[in-house]
Amino acid sequence: MHAAPPPQPFFLDTGAAARFCLYHAPTYAPTYAPTYAPAYAPAAACRGAWLFLHPFAEEMNKARRMAALQARALAQQGFAVLQIDLHGCGDSAGDFADATWEGWLDDVARGAAWLRERSGKPVALWGLRLGGLLALDAVQRGGIVPPAVLLWQPVTNGGQALTQFLRLKVASQMLTEGADSGGTTALRQALAAGQPLEIAGYTLAPALALALDSLDAAKMPAPACPVHWFELVADAARPVPPAAARVADAWRQQGADVRTHAVAGPQFWATQEIAECPALLDATTAALTGTHHAA
Amino acid sequence: MQPDEQALCFPCGDDWLTAVLSPIGAGAIARRGVLIVVGGPQYRAGSHRQFALLARSLAAAGIPAMRFDYRGMGDSGGAPRTFEAVDLDLRTAIDRFIAAVPGMQEVVLWGLCDAASAALFYAPNDRRVAGLVLANPWARTTDGLARATLKHYYVARLLQPAFWQKVASGRFDVRGSLGSLLGLVRNARGAAPAVPPAAQPANDTAAPAAAPAPGLRERMLAGWQGFRGPILLITSGADLTAQEFLDMVKASRPWQKLLAAPGVQRHTLAAADHTFSRREWRDQVAGWTATWVRSW
Repeated sequence: MHAAPPPQPFFLDTGAAARFCLYHAPTYAPTYAPTYAPAYAPAAACRGAWLFLHPFAEEMNKARRMAALQARALAQQGFAVLQIDLHGCGDSAGDFADATWEGWLDDVARGAAWLRERSGKPVALWGLRLGGLLALDAVQRGGIVPPAVLLWQPVTNGGQALTQFLRLKVASQMLTEGADSGGTTALRQALAAGQPLEIAGYTLAPALALALDSLDAAKMPAPACPVHWFELVADAARPVPPAAARVADAWRQQGADVRTHAVAGPQFWATQEIAECPALLDATTAALTGTHHAA
Repeated sequence: MQPDEQALCFPCGDDWLTAVLSPIGAGAIARRGVLIVVGGPQYRAGSHRQFALLARSLAAAGIPAMRFDYRGMGDSGGAPRTFEAVDLDLRTAIDRFIAAVPGMQEVVLWGLCDAASAALFYAPNDRRVAGLVLANPWARTTDGLARATLKHYYVARLLQPAFWQKVASGRFDVRGSLGSLLGLVRNARGAAPAVPPAAQPANDTAAPAAAPAPGLRERMLAGWQGFRGPILLITSGADLTAQEFLDMVKASRPWQKLLAAPGVQRHTLAAADHTFSRREWRDQVAGWTATWVRSW
């Protein structure tokens, strides 16, 4: 017998609109399991719904395992979870070079609509890294009114994230061409002139770069729902990093319910090998099931 | 128009595997498909989506393709495992692939890095495996890596103007680099502790860090010798994993004999890195694969 029911992979829509999705139906793991009952069964009632938004480029690949583990953990707690691959990412249709921020926001809306229909619950947003910024932008635009937002080490400043991505290109130029050809400034100028850049195997379109440059969580209004914000730190005694704390504090001053948590563990979206962080899984599940008190 | 891809979920042991099938046009028949086996710390989309794009490219050329996650990787369930323990995953994926494509009778396994090694281990034991595409196969041993690094990385670095500019400007960590160089020399002589990760070049991103199991090269050799089908070997010029494999071949008569066999075709992309991280390299690899799969 299989240990747990499988998640259901499917393509939302067809052709150029096909978006790969993975649906984790809610189940419950009874603490008292009579011998005649399966270890896992459909939940009597769905407890809530979470839409997962993945991070950018190679970070998405590295984080896939952790996203799947958390999605399964939440499903076993009675939540419905949907993972969606954005346009040009993962198994979804299209080329990364054709992806736009607006298109990704449309994907968020489509994923949320499907999940709301399936689960009968309002859809909460869970984003990792750039997926966190995408969740926040979707909320501030008002297209989605989630009952809660879960952020895993969100990118708070799109311009800084773009600079970090461009640095991969600078490093590769130094290694292969043996010269620093003007750094990220020159690359930004190329993008501004309308030139796509091939970076670490991904073709970055000027429009997407421009959109990233304009995104800053610190300038967004505070979400009108509880925000569960997790940051990974080197050891558990460390506080939430200053950049995250600043945004969280600014939102609190606007009256928002922001619950920040610092968890010790590897930055699994950027590690050389696939890394798991059980402490983050446990803390997240505890926070979302109400058994955890915010720091 | 290219038909839509299909998402699949099927059991493997006590766990579930997730896969994506890229079918060919309705009514078209293909006797042979390509199962893309994923190597390194990647899931089925591959580094920079290489495998998603390769599968689409093959399907557009009339070759059905499927890619999947091993147990413990990507969206598949179960505990993580190394490339040396994926025989059941490969067998169940081939079962599902053949069941999903009417008329298809045999598969080519396409593997990058340690997936190429895993494909070599598995291939002789399944008659449905008709051919192998091996890209930058993983034949790492500690001393082999040290020799390849010394020969191909440090020597190349010493010839680069940027290296000397860095030294001149004080941005080069002389002590750290000398330390790793000395460690390499010890390892190359067969003396010593594991090579520090810092000695690995940045483009080696799909390579597994786990210590090599004893007998990796012997198992690869046995797999190759036991496999009766044709093999396409693709290597990158700017990749230590590939250089280490080729160094091993150069130093071994049995390996030289295997590579010289008539069933083996070879292609080299001189400028490419380990994962073929540019569109032109990726497209070249896809083109070679499609041409070769249809050539026999």
